[in-house]
Amino acid sequence: MNRALLIILIAATALLMAVAFFMPAGPGATVGVASGSALPGFSPKANTPEQAMANVLLDVKRRNWDRAFVGVSKTSGVDERAFIEDWTGSSGSLRTFSNLEGFESRPLHATNDEAQMRVRLHWSTPVGPEEEARDFRLMREGDTWKVVWPHTETASVPAQVIPVDYLRWDLVSGGAEDEWGARNVDAPHVRILSMNAVQAGDGSVVMGEVVNEDTIPAFVNVNATVVDGSGNAIDEESSFDKIAHILLPKQVSPYRVDFPQISLQRVKNVRMDVKATLVPASADPVIGVMDQRLEPDAQGKNVLRGNLFNESGQTVNIPHVVASFYDNNGKVVWVADGYVERALLPQSSEPFAVEVPRALVGKVQNFHVVVNQYSLGRS
Amino acid sequence: MNTAERYSRPIPLLAIVLVALAVHGPLLLMQLPAGSFDTNFHIFFASHYAHHWFNPWNEKWFAGFSQTTYPPLTHQWIAIFSNVVGLKMAYMLVQLIAMLLLPVGVYRFAKIWVGERAASYAAVGSVFLGALAFLAYQAGQLATIASVALYLNALPYFYEWMTEAQGRSLVKGVAVGLAAAAAHHVTLIFGVVLFAGPVLWLAWLDAREERVAASERGVIARAAIFGVIVALGVGAVLLPYWISIVQHPIHQMPIPHDSRANFLLNSITAINYFVIPYGVLILALPFILMRGCANRRLRPLLLGFWVTFIFGLGGTTPLPRWLLGRAYEILTFERFTFWATLMAMPIVGLLAMELLDRFRDKAAVGLALAAVSTLGLALAWLTVNPYRPARTPDVKPVIAFLNRDGHDSYRYITLGFGSELAKVSTYTDAGSVDGDYNSARLLPEMTSYGSAQLTNSKFYGSAGMASLRAMLEHANRYGLKYVFVHDSYYEPLLTFAGWRKIETFDNGETTAWSKDDVPPAHKIESDAVPPRWEGLLWGTLPIGVSILAIFLEFLLPGKRRLPVLMEVPACAEEHYAV
Amino acid sequence: MRRLLLLCAGAVLLAGASAGQELRVPPSVSAGEDATISTAGSGQATFYVVGPGVASKSSVNLGEEIQLHGQDLRNAGHYMAIVCSSTCQSASFYVIAAKPTNLSFLVHPSRVPVGQENAVSGVALPFDTFHNLVLSPAEVNFTMNAANAALFSRSVHMQQGIGWFRTSSGKTAGTVRVVASVADLSARRAVQQVASDPCNLRMQGQRTAKGITVQTEPVRDCSGNPVSDGTIVSFGAVTANGRSTVDAPIKHGVARAQIEGSGAAVVSVASGVVIGNELHIGAQQ
Repeated sequence: MNRALLIILIAATALLMAVAFFMPAGPGATVGVASGSALPGFSPKANTPEQAMANVLLDVKRRNWDRAFVGVSKTSGVDERAFIEDWTGSSGSLRTFSNLEGFESRPLHATNDEAQMRVRLHWSTPVGPEEEARDFRLMREGDTWKVVWPHTETASVPAQVIPVDYLRWDLVSGGAEDEWGARNVDAPHVRILSMNAVQAGDGSVVMGEVVNEDTIPAFVNVNATVVDGSGNAIDEESSFDKIAHILLPKQVSPYRVDFPQISLQRVKNVRMDVKATLVPASADPVIGVMDQRLEPDAQGKNVLRGNLFNESGQTVNIPHVVASFYDNNGKVVWVADGYVERALLPQSSEPFAVEVPRALVGKVQNFHVVVNQYSLGRS
Repeated sequence: MNTAERYSRPIPLLAIVLVALAVHGPLLLMQLPAGSFDTNFHIFFASHYAHHWFNPWNEKWFAGFSQTTYPPLTHQWIAIFSNVVGLKMAYMLVQLIAMLLLPVGVYRFAKIWVGERAASYAAVGSVFLGALAFLAYQAGQLATIASVALYLNALPYFYEWMTEAQGRSLVKGVAVGLAAAAAHHVTLIFGVVLFAGPVLWLAWLDAREERVAASERGVIARAAIFGVIVALGVGAVLLPYWISIVQHPIHQMPIPHDSRANFLLNSITAINYFVIPYGVLILALPFILMRGCANRRLRPLLLGFWVTFIFGLGGTTPLPRWLLGRAYEILTFERFTFWATLMAMPIVGLLAMELLDRFRDKAAVGLALAAVSTLGLALAWLTVNPYRPARTPDVKPVIAFLNRDGHDSYRYITLGFGSELAKVSTYTDAGSVDGDYNSARLLPEMTSYGSAQLTNSKFYGSAGMASLRAMLEHANRYGLKYVFVHDSYYEPLLTFAGWRKIETFDNGETTAWSKDDVPPAHKIESDAVPPRWEGLLWGTLPIGVSILAIFLEFLLPGKRRLPVLMEVPACAEEHYAV
Repeated sequence: MRRLLLLCAGAVLLAGASAGQELRVPPSVSAGEDATISTAGSGQATFYVVGPGVASKSSVNLGEEIQLHGQDLRNAGHYMAIVCSSTCQSASFYVIAAKPTNLSFLVHPSRVPVGQENAVSGVALPFDTFHNLVLSPAEVNFTMNAANAALFSRSVHMQQGIGWFRTSSGKTAGTVRVVASVADLSARRAVQQVASDPCNLRMQGQRTAKGITVQTEPVRDCSGNPVSDGTIVSFGAVTANGRSTVDAPIKHGVARAQIEGSGAAVVSVASGVVIGNELHIGAQQ
C-alpha cells in the first residue's frame, strides 16, 4: 500500500506536469518583470523552422538576448549588439519603450534546408498595442534551424552644425493679488472648422478639423457630447490622442472623438466643446511630410504612406501622425492616426503609414497630415 | 544532563515562542515588511477604520469602494494599535503577533499527528520557513499569515471535539475558527478542504481503529455540528462580505500573476515561488512522501500536503485550473505553497527527531544551518529578486501637493508608484480612481481589461495600457485632474493625450501632470455602498469574535495532553496494518 | 446673527405699530464717516442698526445722541436704525459711496488684429476705498495711444457708476496703451494689436543637393505689418512620388522649408485662407 501510494503520487505529479507542458498558456504573465528562461531540458529543440523561430522570439520576449542570439545563424553578418538594438530600438524611440507581447508565425515556403516565415509581432507600447509584420529567412545548420537575421540599416546623421532660430512662448501668470481687471490675457481663439458624425462599426465617430485663429499657440482639447432625441446627453468623450493638442497660430489639426458603444441611430445631436488654454510652447521642431500617397500595403490594406522629414537639429523621439481624409466636397470623411516606432533624427527621414478604411477608399479625394511629437525632456 | 537526554525531550513552547520573537521581532522593528507588496494596502485599510470604524465605504480608491470586500480583523487591530504607536508600527505589531501565534499553531496542529517532541521541532522549523519570510517580508500578506495561525490553533479543538465531545473544545474551536475567518476568507475556504479535511479523516481513522473513545458515527456527527456552527458563524460575522460578493460577483477580466506561470518554463518564477518558499525543505520532500505513505495515520496529512503542494505549483500542473475553474484566474498561488510547508512540518518534525536521535550534535548543527539558510535565502532574495521595485518614489511631496490649494477637490492617479500608491492614499484627503485591491474594483475602465492597478499598467502589457487609456479618456467624468509619474514610460501617452507637466518633485524623479479642462470631482453613485447596519455589524462582530476567542483561551484552559501520543517509527506500516 | 436679524425684523414690525416717538437720522452719510442719530424721550433703550452686511445692537439712553462709527458704515446702501424701549421706533437712512479711490478698468480683447471694426471695448468702474461702486455722476476719459501717436480719445458720462467705450483697432501692429481716467484717478491697460491675415504671400525656391529649399518673402498683412512670428505657413509640393507638405512657422518675418526629392515639383504656399504664388521647379540634373 505504502509503495503503491508513493508511486501513484510521484507518477501523478509527473503526469500533471507533462500535461501542463503541452497545454496552452493562460492569460500570460506580467510583462517586463521576470526574464527567466525554461529550466534545462525543457526548451524545445529547434528541429523545425517554426520551432526555431518560436524559440528566438520567446527569448526576445523575455529579453534573454544571449539565448535568443544563439538561434541566429552565423551567416547573418550581424553582431549581438546590432541584433539587440534591432529589438530594443535606440534614441528614445517608441521601440525603446516597447515590449514584445506575443507573436504568430506562418511559413511562406520551405525546403529541406531553407524556409521563409512571416511573423506578426504584437508589441505593447506606452501609446497602445502595435502590430508589426516581418519576414524572416531560416536555414538548416546541422540538425537545427537558425534564423538568418536581416541587417537593418540605421539612419546615420553626419556631424553638422544646424543654426536654430529659437522661437518659443513662455507664460507668466499674474499673482493672485493682482487687481481685478488687470489679469486680462485672453485665452487663444480657437474655432472648429468642420464636424462630421459617422457610424463606425457598432459605435459612432465625430470628426473634423479645428484651427487656431490667434497669434499665440493654443493648447486644445475637443470634447463631444452626443444627445438623444429627448435632449438627454448619452455620452461624452474627448479627442484624446486623435488631435495635435498644441496648435501654432493658423495651424489646423484634425480631431476624432470615438463613441465605441453608441450607435449613430441613437444620436440626434452632437454638442461640441473646444477648450483652448494658454501654454508655454515652442515652434520647433519642424517636421515635413514627404511623398504622401494612398496605396495598398503588402497585406492588401489601403494606407496613406509617406516619409517624415525632421528639418530641425533636435531628435524627435516619438513622431505621431494624424491625418484627415476629405471627399470631393472637401468634407472630412475620416481621421486616422499612427505612431512611428523609430526616432526621427535631425535632418533625416522615417517612413509612416496610416490605414484608411476599405469602405472609404473610393470616397477619399484629398488628405491632410499633421505631425505631433514627443521629445524626451521637452514635454 | 547528557547529550541523549538533552535531545530526547521536547522543546518547551515558551522557548519556541521566544525563538520566533528573537528571529522576527528585530526584523519587524526594522520595519522590513514596509517595502513589501501589500503592507501599504493593509495600512491603508487600517487607516480608514481608524477614522471611520463603522463606515466601511471608502471614497479614496476606485471613486468609492466598500471595505466589506475584505475581512477586517487584522486591519481593525492595526487601527486600534495605531492610536498608540502609529499606523506603521501597529502593522508590525499585528504581524509580530501573527508570527508568534504561528509556531504555537503549528505545535498544536502537529501534536494531532505526531508526538510532542516532533511537534516541538515542527514548531521551531515553522519560525524559519522561507514561505513565511516570503509572505511576511516580500508579499506582505499579513491576513494570510494571521488567519492560518489562528486556523492552526483552532484545528486541535476541532479534533478534540470530534474525538472527545468536550463542549469547551467546541466553543473554543468555533471562536478561534471564526476569528480566523474574520482575518482572511480565502484561508478559511481552502482551509476547510486542505487542513480540516485531513483532520476529520484522521479523527475518523482513530475512531475506527479505536485509538480514541469516540465512534466513527459520533466523529462524523460532531464534525457536522462543528461545521454547521462555524458556517452559521462565518455567515454572520462576515455577512456584509457575503452580501457584497453576491451583489457584485467578480466578473472582471483575469489579471495575470506570475504565481500562475509554469515554473518549468521560467526559472525566475521557479526560484521566486518554489525555491525561496521551500528552501532546504526541498531536500526533505522525499522523506515527507515516503514517511507519509508508510504511516497510515499520516496519510491524510500527506494527501492534504500533496494537493496543497500541487496547487502551490500554480500553472506547472493543470490541476488547480481544472478544480478551481474561473477562481483559478482570481487567486494567487504563493499562499498554497505557504500552507503546504505548514502541512509538511509535522513530518519534518519527525525527520528532525530521527536525525537528532541518530546523529546528535551533528544533526543539530545541520538542522540549524538548514533552518537559518532557508530563512536567510528568503531574506536575501528580498534585495535581488527581479520583482522588487527598481526605485521607490518619495511620496511626501506628492501628498503635500494633493493636500494644498484645493487640489484634493479633484481625483488623481499615480503611475510607476507600485505599492506606494496606498501610502499616498493613506495620507492624502484626495480620492483616486485607482487602487491596490483588485476585488473591490467596479469601474468598467478597470474591470474590462486583464490588468490590475493603473499605477502598474505597463507590467500588464497592452491590457494594462488599454485600461489606463480608457481611464484617461474619461478623466473629465471622474474629475481626474492630476497624474503623478514615477516612470517616464508613461510620459508619451500623457503628452499625446493632452496632459501637461506642471511640477517636478524629488529632483525630477517624480512629475505631476495636469489636464486643464477637468471639472472638480463629484460623488460617483454606486449601488455598492453598504447600509448603516452593515457598517455596525462590520465594526462589531469580527473584532468581537477575536476578543471572545482571547477570553475563552484564558477562561477555559484546555487539557495538557492530546489523546494520541505517537513517535512514529520509521517503518510503522506493519504496526498499524489492519 | 440670524437671531439678531429676526429680532430686528420683529422690532421693525413693532416700530411700525408705535407712532409718536422721535428718532432723527441724517438724510445721507458718506461711507466710512461717523454719523449721529438723535433720540427723544428718556430712560434706557436698545438700539439696533441694520444695513448691508452690518447688524449691531447696543444699549442707549433715550434723549441723548447716538454715535455711529464710520467703521460700521463702510458699506454703501440702505440702513435702518431702530430704538426699542417699551415700544420700538425706526428710521432709515442711506450711506453713499465715498470719493472714488480706485478705478477698475476692463479692456477686451487683450490681442486684436489690426483694422477690425468695433473690436476693442473697455469698461471703467470707480470704487471708493471700501470697495463701494461710486454711483455719483462723473466724467470718464478714455484714451488710446500707440507708441508715438494718439489713436482715440473720448469723454464719457458715467451712468450708474459705469462708463464704457467701443472702438476699432488701429492700422499698426504693436502694443496700444488704453487709459481711463476719472478726476485724478486713472487706470492703464495694454492691448496688443497684431497683424491681420497675410496679404500677397510670395515665396522663392531653389533646388539644393538635398531637395528644394523654399522661403517666403517677408510675410505682411494688407496694412504692411509683419505677420506674427510662429504663424504657420503651409508649403506643398506635388512630385511624381506624391505630395509633400511642410507646416513651417514664420521666424523673423519669413517662413522657410526644405522639401526632399530630386524630381520636378510644383510648389505652392498658403497661410490660413490666404494662398500665395506657385513655383515650378525642375528635376535635379
